[in-house]
Amino acid sequence: MSEQNGLPTSQTDLQLLLHALADGELDAATGLAIERRMEGDPALVAEYARILALRTAISSLPRPEVSDAFKARIAVLTDGAKAAERPTEQRFGSFDWRAMAASILVTAVVASGGTYWATSRGAQNSFVGEMASAQQRSLLAASPVDVASSDRHTVKPWLDARIGMSPPTMDLSKDGYVLLGGRVEVIGNRPVPALVYQLRKHLITLIAEPRETGSEPVPVAKDLSMGGFSLIHWTEGAFSYWAISDISSSELQDFVTRFRAAAAAA
Amino acid sequence: MPHLADALAFARWLTGSRVDAEDVVQEACLKAYAGIETYAGGNPRAWLLTIVRNVSYTWLAKNRPRALVVAGDLADLDELTAGKETGTDDPETPEAALIAKADAVALEAAISNLPHPFREVVVLRDINGLAYREIAAMLGVPLGTVMSRLSRARGLLMSELGSER
Repeated sequence: MSEQNGLPTSQTDLQLLLHALADGELDAATGLAIERRMEGDPALVAEYARILALRTAISSLPRPEVSDAFKARIAVLTDGAKAAERPTEQRFGSFDWRAMAASILVTAVVASGGTYWATSRGAQNSFVGEMASAQQRSLLAASPVDVASSDRHTVKPWLDARIGMSPPTMDLSKDGYVLLGGRVEVIGNRPVPALVYQLRKHLITLIAEPRETGSEPVPVAKDLSMGGFSLIHWTEGAFSYWAISDISSSELQDFVTRFRAAAAAA
Repeated sequence: MPHLADALAFARWLTGSRVDAEDVVQEACLKAYAGIETYAGGNPRAWLLTIVRNVSYTWLAKNRPRALVVAGDLADLDELTAGKETGTDDPETPEAALIAKADAVALEAAISNLPHPFREVVVLRDINGLAYREIAAMLGVPLGTVMSRLSRARGLLMSELGSER
């Protein structure tokens, strides 16, 4: 087969290209070449026109409508097929272990995360609650302190002697916070030292809990006020501090700032 | 189920009957769902039409064995149609206007009278609108075969429509 302008000379092959041109299946170069050829060949032009006319006639033939009844038939059928296949597939053989493993993993993470969240929140809440109760008891008791002394050099050794530890005890009397004394609180089944200051007629209890190793530091004082009490929490050195009082939280914040400044200077 | 209209049109042309087409498409849909894992990407419409085609021929072999032209007859068929084509080459080929005016009943009859290998190519191309490559992949034949069958099929239709007058 010899070629001319990249086109086959055989009439049959030229026919194929005419059909391909009508169907939009020719690349631009071949399409151009065959259009050039058609310019000088009325027979090709007539054939091309026939092909186009036939294409148009066929594509305008009425297409069978998809009746709603048939659609419903197929829908029922395929739903039925799916329902019939699924149980057997899942019971035998093609059980998807990856899906199962993923679901177990997700469940475990959610469950343990949830437990952690619940217990940690619970622990925090119960801790705060216990301190609030301690503050309340101290207000109701005959004396809010076990050792009554405005002298920090008396309070600190007393605590050391009782429970083997004592937090830095600051004299803040010049700021209006009078040290009333100290007492031992039992928070979470552990004895912890507590200092009691007085501002005007209000008591401020400062509980110092020895920090556990690995516990998260709270360098910036955090306002945890709740249950009608102002409560501020922070950590410094070996202790976790909880300042609790019935004064406003901004006043308590002022106390905390002064206490921390004095402790840092000491 | 997408492509239901396409599947139905194709089955309708292969089986020659609307009712039979619905039965065939129903079975093809079942097969499609059962074999959905074997669907390896590509054109989902061509995939469904391939199943419809297989089901159609199985169905025809069972229910209308005489309507079916089996693959072995293809060579004879080619010779036959080739002869016919050369025979009707010059004066009797109708004008494009005549083809355009052909009524739907005559055209449908002409398509229905095409042997299956030609009919399916012309239906896939001009009714379902598949590309040559998609048809070649569907039928498992070379691109050149698709082109020559389409050319023959159209040639037969043209001369059929021309001889009506």
